Amino acid sequence: MIAAILAGCALGGVYALASSGLVITYVSSGILNFAFAALAYFVARFYYFLHVQHGWGLAVSAIVSIVVTGPVLGLLLWAVLFRFLRLASPVVKIVVTVGLSVCIGPIAILLFGNQPIVSPPGLAPQPVHVFHVLGTDVTLDQVIVYACTVVILAGGAAILRWTDAGLLVRAVVDSEAMASLSGIRPSAVAIGVWSVSTFMAGLAGVLAAPIIGLDITSFTVLIAAAFAAVIAARLRNMGTAVVVGLLMGIATSLVQRYLPSTSQFTADVIPSIPFVFIVIFLGYSLIRRGAVREAQSLGGPLDRAIAPQGGSDAALARAASVGTAGRRLTSGPLPLALIVVVAILPLVLHGLWTGMVALGLGYAVCFLSYTIVTGEAGIVWLCQITFAGIGAVVTAELATNHGVSVLAAVVVGGLVCAVLGAVIGFATLRLGDLYVALVTLTFGLLVDNLFFQINSINNFGAGIAVPPPAFATSDTTLSWVELAFFCILALVVATLRRSTFGFAVSAVRWSEPAARMTGLSVVATKVWVSALAATAAGIGGGLIAIYTAAAVPQSFATFSGLIWMAVLVTIGVRSTSAALIAGLSFAFIPEIFATYLPTSWGEVPPALFGLGAVLVARNPEGTLAMHARQLEQLLSKRQRRRSLVDVITEQTAELGGGVAQADLAPATLGKGEAL
Amino acid sequence: MSGDRTASGAAPVLAGEGISVRFGGLQALNNVSIEVPRRAIMGLIGPNGAGKSTLIGVLSGLLTSSGGRVSLDGVDVTSQSAQQRARRGLARTFQQPELFAGLSIREHLMLAWRVRHDRARMWQDLLLGRAWRRPDRGESERVDELLEGLGLARLSHAPVAALPLGYSRLVEIGRALAASPKVVLLDEPLSGLDGQESEQVAEVLYGLVGSEGVSFLLVDHDVDTVLERSARVMVLDFGEVISAGTPAEVRSDELVRAAYLGDAVDGDKKVGHV
Repeated sequence: MIAAILAGCALGGVYALASSGLVITYVSSGILNFAFAALAYFVARFYYFLHVQHGWGLAVSAIVSIVVTGPVLGLLLWAVLFRFLRLASPVVKIVVTVGLSVCIGPIAILLFGNQPIVSPPGLAPQPVHVFHVLGTDVTLDQVIVYACTVVILAGGAAILRWTDAGLLVRAVVDSEAMASLSGIRPSAVAIGVWSVSTFMAGLAGVLAAPIIGLDITSFTVLIAAAFAAVIAARLRNMGTAVVVGLLMGIATSLVQRYLPSTSQFTADVIPSIPFVFIVIFLGYSLIRRGAVREAQSLGGPLDRAIAPQGGSDAALARAASVGTAGRRLTSGPLPLALIVVVAILPLVLHGLWTGMVALGLGYAVCFLSYTIVTGEAGIVWLCQITFAGIGAVVTAELATNHGVSVLAAVVVGGLVCAVLGAVIGFATLRLGDLYVALVTLTFGLLVDNLFFQINSINNFGAGIAVPPPAFATSDTTLSWVELAFFCILALVVATLRRSTFGFAVSAVRWSEPAARMTGLSVVATKVWVSALAATAAGIGGGLIAIYTAAAVPQSFATFSGLIWMAVLVTIGVRSTSAALIAGLSFAFIPEIFATYLPTSWGEVPPALFGLGAVLVARNPEGTLAMHARQLEQLLSKRQRRRSLVDVITEQTAELGGGVAQADLAPATLGKGEAL
Repeated sequence: MSGDRTASGAAPVLAGEGISVRFGGLQALNNVSIEVPRRAIMGLIGPNGAGKSTLIGVLSGLLTSSGGRVSLDGVDVTSQSAQQRARRGLARTFQQPELFAGLSIREHLMLAWRVRHDRARMWQDLLLGRAWRRPDRGESERVDELLEGLGLARLSHAPVAALPLGYSRLVEIGRALAASPKVVLLDEPLSGLDGQESEQVAEVLYGLVGSEGVSFLLVDHDVDTVLERSARVMVLDFGEVISAGTPAEVRSDELVRAAYLGDAVDGDKKVGHV
């Protein structure tokens, strides 16, 4: 028992450090850093690179990586990214930090190598000394985790409580607006907080490496678990986050201690522990308060009074005006031209590349799910890929084991996901944007760990076979079938936008009180739009399974879904054309790299996808709408010029003067442009 | 002010009786009763923090009261949600305009009209493809009429995200009126408007009372306009009704003068505002 608790305290200590780092950045900047795991991984990997790969001393490696690189990374990210997000909408903040989390891992691999790491060292010298305490073994690594947790958290609390620096931070946390009026520079405080936060991420990463291994997936799972503590802390109570983090660590350790280590049940229960904590705390908060929303808990009355509606100004207006500036191009001739081009592609391409068209169209259908739920409803889900996986599994099960026509099975898979999506939509109804993102992320992880691990579901890793439709056995025909599915769903999205229900979705997105006073049911609107989005993801998953000839649940891991999201938002989350381009890009770009470039370049595509999502901070509508708008401006400018030339020509003809048109026109054009 | 009948004998279109609201240790409303007469503007005034917006919140169903009941057109709606009350003919605007940033001005009005008059479109647009057809004639006429009346016709296709405050308030009023309500709760609809715009909006509201029989509960800090346009006025202070009656009665009420101007202040210069 004592041994289990001591071991649990080590894991719990890492949870506590991570959740504290997350809470401190959230309360001071309003950003929940979904890239925390990636930052922790980057620093830990750098520490390994220095200490193991290059033989630097332990202390020097630790100082250079944790004390120097961590804070510098935080400073750099604040300077180039986070400071621009201060007034951004919650959706943009989530997308940008998710994009960052996607690109940091591959960048670390590109910088430090992709060698297999078996037993990464912690901060204890090797071989690790073992103490005997109360009849149980405690490693020096564990002792260091305890010490770091106590020193960092107690020291941090003391600094916040008793020093001038702490006073400044507390002032900014309480009200940035009031702090500014008192002569405090919130940006200076933010720099300090981000540096401390990335220091804590790095420390947590180095301490966690001996416990969970040194790979990005394990780190993301660890920090996703720490999000449970953050939710319990309602995003801002550091003390609660620390206590819950420790409790989760101990609970995990006790489960490992008392349940049979080889049983499937134990393997299932352990990753579920954070989810159980999330359900308990959200359930408690919902019963007690009726709703859990992050916006109400940030800043003071003045901050809320001067905050723009929807949480942002420029980003809000720009995102909302997509479809007026760029919509004429992105929803007019462009989709039709694109569809024609994609329909011709299978005839032009050969072999593998024809298959990539089919695969890309499967992704594109899945991406329409983001277009509906995030682009239209403004809700960030991080589990679309899970619905796609469920759709694939249902398709395979019905088509292979129950003799249902495979295309009918795809549709049924979509409908099954519709029900699940409606349940998720209903369950997250009274949650704020961040909570929804966190809950859906955790839901995805839970399905990964519980449902997708069942042998009868994943067929011992090989996946259940999925036959192609009898009339579409070639990749070319299959591409057209998938294109037909895409067109139908894209038409549904286009109809949704013009429809009364689409107006209702928009109404609920921007103001729930006003939507209710217009007679709209927020519950029904959110549930139906959730069901629709999940249907698209489920159908897309089924189509992907047809192309791959098997439903392999592991290929629908929640973390891959983050890359899906990054790809789509880079191109545009509100446009069906963007979904099509993003789907094809996601299929083709990695394959082009794999085929024509050295293996070491394999990490470049995810890094690029992640960086693209980071750019959403400056360009929330995505590159497609941005270029469409630029093109439209260019065309209207040319049209203006032409009309001016016509006017001048007419006037010159009327005057009958001898002034050449070519001499007169440029001067007048200049005036016209200025006007 | 409690009772089933107003002084004129007609049942009020909206009535709140014995409404109390407590936020933690603050008694925001204490046993407040109000009746909004039919086909009339009812004014609600009071200093900042008096509880005006809280009362509107309770009447509209967005806030829950700890006591009291609300009836709309003679039906007890105390237990009904905000959207149910809206479908029964209650509309409201907000102190900070609450617009749907993804919609144009015209779409705001279309949505409100459809929810009230053609609710089936919510599904028919998607399932029967009605979204691709022209709007119904009745809808278009009503929306055009409102846009024209509020001076928004020129901007009808503009997205609302970047509208100035004055226009935002007009869009809110238009959205409320598009639902053909029986009663509209207006929470400071004139703030942010210049004198001419205020006069224009007040004129539109006054006209609607006569032409369509809509009732308004008007909350605003422009006390002159409220007293000028209202048939009856109620004054709140610290969550309690301190005066109610005709504008003339309220204007001459000493309690009202004290609440607005304070005992220590010489009210002679400002008495005209009350």
